[in-house]
Amino acid sequence: MSFPHSQSPSIAARSIGARVPRGDDPRLLTGRGQYLADIVLPGELHACFVRSSAAHARITRVSIDEARALDGVVAVWTGEDAAKFCEGIVGELEVEGCFATTMPLLARDIVRYVGEPVAVVVAESRYVAEDGCDLVDVDYEPLEPVLHPRSALEGGPSANEELPDNVALRGGKVLGDVEGAFNNAARVIEATFHSGRLSAGPMETRGVIASYDWTSRRLRLWTGSQMPHYIKYCLTAYLGFPENECEVLTPDTGGGFGQKAHIFPEEMLLPLLARELDRPVKWVEDRRENLMTATHAHEQFIDIAYAFDSDARATGVRIRATGDGGAYHQPPWSMGVEPWCTAMVTPTGVYDIPAADLIYEAAATNKTPIGAYRGVGYMAGTLVRECLMDDAARAFELSPFDIRRRSVVREFPWTNPQGIVYDEGSWLQTIDELERMVDYTAFRERQAALRAEGRFIGLGLSVFVESSGESTAMGKAHDLGGIYHDTATVKMEPNGSVTVTIGLTTQGQGHRTTMAQVVADSLGVPLEAITVRAAESTTYGWGSGTVGSRGAVIAGGAVLRASNVIRTKLVALAASMLEADPADIDLVDGAAVVLGVPGSSVSIIDLATAVYFDQSAWPADFDPTLEATLAYDPARPIFSNGGHAMIVEVAPDTGFVTVEKVFSVEDCGTVINPDIVEGQIRGGVVQGIGAALLERLVYDDSGQLVTTTLLDYHMPSMDFSPPFEIHHLETPSSHTPGGIKGMGESGLIAAPAAVLNAVNDALSHTGTVLHNIPITPEQVLRALRG
Amino acid sequence: MKSPVFAYAAPNTVAEACSLLANDEDAKLLAGGQSLVPLLALRLAAPTTLVDLRLVPALTGITYDQGVLRLGAMTTHRAIERSPLVQDVAPAIAEAAALIAHPQVRTRGTIGGAVAHADAAAEWPAVLLALGGHVEVTGTTGSRSISASDLFMGPFMTSLEPDEVITSVSLPIDGREIWVDEHQRRHGDYGLSILAMTYQLSDGFLTDVRLAVAGATGSVTRAPEAEAALEGRAPADSSDAITALAAELSYTSDIHGSADYRRDITTTLFQRALRAAGERSGQA
Repeated sequence: MSFPHSQSPSIAARSIGARVPRGDDPRLLTGRGQYLADIVLPGELHACFVRSSAAHARITRVSIDEARALDGVVAVWTGEDAAKFCEGIVGELEVEGCFATTMPLLARDIVRYVGEPVAVVVAESRYVAEDGCDLVDVDYEPLEPVLHPRSALEGGPSANEELPDNVALRGGKVLGDVEGAFNNAARVIEATFHSGRLSAGPMETRGVIASYDWTSRRLRLWTGSQMPHYIKYCLTAYLGFPENECEVLTPDTGGGFGQKAHIFPEEMLLPLLARELDRPVKWVEDRRENLMTATHAHEQFIDIAYAFDSDARATGVRIRATGDGGAYHQPPWSMGVEPWCTAMVTPTGVYDIPAADLIYEAAATNKTPIGAYRGVGYMAGTLVRECLMDDAARAFELSPFDIRRRSVVREFPWTNPQGIVYDEGSWLQTIDELERMVDYTAFRERQAALRAEGRFIGLGLSVFVESSGESTAMGKAHDLGGIYHDTATVKMEPNGSVTVTIGLTTQGQGHRTTMAQVVADSLGVPLEAITVRAAESTTYGWGSGTVGSRGAVIAGGAVLRASNVIRTKLVALAASMLEADPADIDLVDGAAVVLGVPGSSVSIIDLATAVYFDQSAWPADFDPTLEATLAYDPARPIFSNGGHAMIVEVAPDTGFVTVEKVFSVEDCGTVINPDIVEGQIRGGVVQGIGAALLERLVYDDSGQLVTTTLLDYHMPSMDFSPPFEIHHLETPSSHTPGGIKGMGESGLIAAPAAVLNAVNDALSHTGTVLHNIPITPEQVLRALRG
Repeated sequence: MKSPVFAYAAPNTVAEACSLLANDEDAKLLAGGQSLVPLLALRLAAPTTLVDLRLVPALTGITYDQGVLRLGAMTTHRAIERSPLVQDVAPAIAEAAALIAHPQVRTRGTIGGAVAHADAAAEWPAVLLALGGHVEVTGTTGSRSISASDLFMGPFMTSLEPDEVITSVSLPIDGREIWVDEHQRRHGDYGLSILAMTYQLSDGFLTDVRLAVAGATGSVTRAPEAEAALEGRAPADSSDAITALAAELSYTSDIHGSADYRRDITTTLFQRALRAAGERSGQA
């Protein structure tokens, strides 16, 4: 690809690399954030959903008369009412072997998972709306629920008659001489893994406010979405609202983690309700709804085998990844992306494995749809690859570092069997660095000494390579569809201050600070003079979504391209005013300076003022527009890499696992802000510890979700946050702004494998090897007791 | 997650509270609300009237007199945890209070509320049973005292009459050793197993042993066979009691642990208590 918007100007790192405090923190940490529930529109109504109590059933009757008659209830809609406007949301993954589904806004005729919206009650308050929901009477005629993905794919009843054989996705590839690799293997290491069903569990649940003005046909929709421009597109595509009169607004958002990167029925229903009722309508999801319906994540059953030669080098891999997809594809990511990525992308990882047999499949089941959650596809894939590496280390009696060094890729660029090209990386250095940080020999000595006292500690290692900066090139490299680009606007005011608008929303990652650092280095202005607006409204810019570890790379590229236009004008003006060659001008510390001529400078403020108010200072043919909007989409896929080593202790009286310490190595190229990168590592790793030790959405045999409150769905709290030692490697990308790479997902991608490996190491004297997460205390206790 | 409609009353006296209860059979007392309010939000409870006890001055206060620690029903867990008096006369009780949930919950939740709620995974019912305590209650027809063994009838069930209010909780603090401990997966979680044990130590032998288990069983319960198996034995001589405790109780199974697992970790909790008893007997 050689589009101009793939070229990013060079930049001198000055503010980039500094531990700049996050500008949002004083506001957010003192309770001054304005989240969706804080927004109150005059005359607003409140929506609440009647949700299916059955996993799979025919709706024989929906009785809404009593609810409609309740004082304060304004409207009750069922599936028929919604279907007049929209048949449903169509979802699929653009890969071979994917079959689409249509998710109705409100279920009609059949419900397919517990929690599926069946009716919506709109009332003067949320309390009355819930009272109204209690009065809606739905009769269900039970159908057999489909609950196990692998047996669902073998036949039997359908979870969703659009997919009669329950196959939502099925495909794969054989690359290289897999049979030869396994036939000639000195050893084959294999296992079946189960990666549990998770909720992304953002601190702020979902929510929507819709407001419609019939006089102008103007629709405003507030939603804490990671993809507001996509939502806006859907308002037109699915509902027919005129695109030019739609605005999607994104207030402060308390975490998304991928869950808020979908289009949901609730987001499509509220605009219709607001228009038909001629009043603003608000819905704030409660925690029970969030756990029950706001997409589940990561659950897969995975068979994987590695062939090793007699030197313990991996020579081939076979994988079959089966997703437990839920009842529908949740657009745009679908139930396909999880097993597809696990099978097609992750089995080779950082290793030079020439042959691969890759099978992906997703089964429709009568459960909540699976969606994206941080590290989608990568987490389970890294879990099985890295856990099997540790299994192999034990089989070959090698250290976990040595076994990885036997197969790790050492030469770049490197093309894996799937055809993906990795331009650079510090894959070997990561392993070496982790070994040094852990002090492996000392650890083994301590482990042996503690075992003699009846205490059991273990060390687990997990290394990864992560696709980052999700882009058109990334999609193409993986045979995935998807065209991406994002814009940024940079505007300098007469007094030299700068307003930056990016097309990416922020959910607490500190984008406003990191983007200000990029602009500061481009324009030479102090951070205090820069305000960054992060897609607060679709009125500004275009964004493809805050997903796929793309914020820093993509927004950074767009911001740098836009600010470079301003920079070029400031340089031209300064050269004219200072009678110097533009090539000799640099912008630094608030001034344009002539390189090599000390004392020859003009302040940025004076330059900006001159642009607006002093034509005499302008060079010939000067265009005074101090505002630029440009797009960015990197020319090539970007990959970051790293690894974690963890030390855990298992308690012999309870089987409880405690993470004693985490060692992290991260290589995301040029680090814009080490504090923010380290925060991303800590947060992601702790989510990974939760996934490995605590979190599990549980369905019973009738398809009822058992874990509907945080009393039962255990998320990691502060006492599950271990001490960290973090080491940065910096292998810059050669084709992103300043060499930046993305890293938002890396913690969760690789941490669960490190936990599982550490527990298995702690249990290595027992002969038990665990292959499922979350690891339950009961499994550990059983292992310890033989 | 919004509660259904209810009437709210905040009387100033116990008598008023009793008559509010007597006049509305679906009324419910609010004594801190750390269990009831979530139940309301989930619409798992729908009382017609909430009778809030927070303005009844007679229900607070901690006293110690003649070997009895008396805790007003509206005394918060946090107040018990931090009370210099409790820390002085019965430090194990202050430590037991600190096992309950998180500081935020302890600051609002009350001992009377917890005892009346009778959650199978609550600490106070086990403590009350192990100490042989009792509650003072007042109804429209007068006051009475109910011993712990007569109070807890099953999960979320007590022998309180509908119009009765617990006014205080009394714990005998008479020189017997007290041990309260539990296994929580995360700090502040409901205990997977809670064990409270009281006993006398004389010449290194256990007597007058009372053992109560919660969290691991369907409701808070004594373990009489294990108690009997310890009687007159040294703490180290406990294998019969350990076997008895594993066999005599009906352990519960749920997503957080099977019955077998709960039996195993209740055993390890018991062993911890016995080790502590052994250390105490060594010191004595």
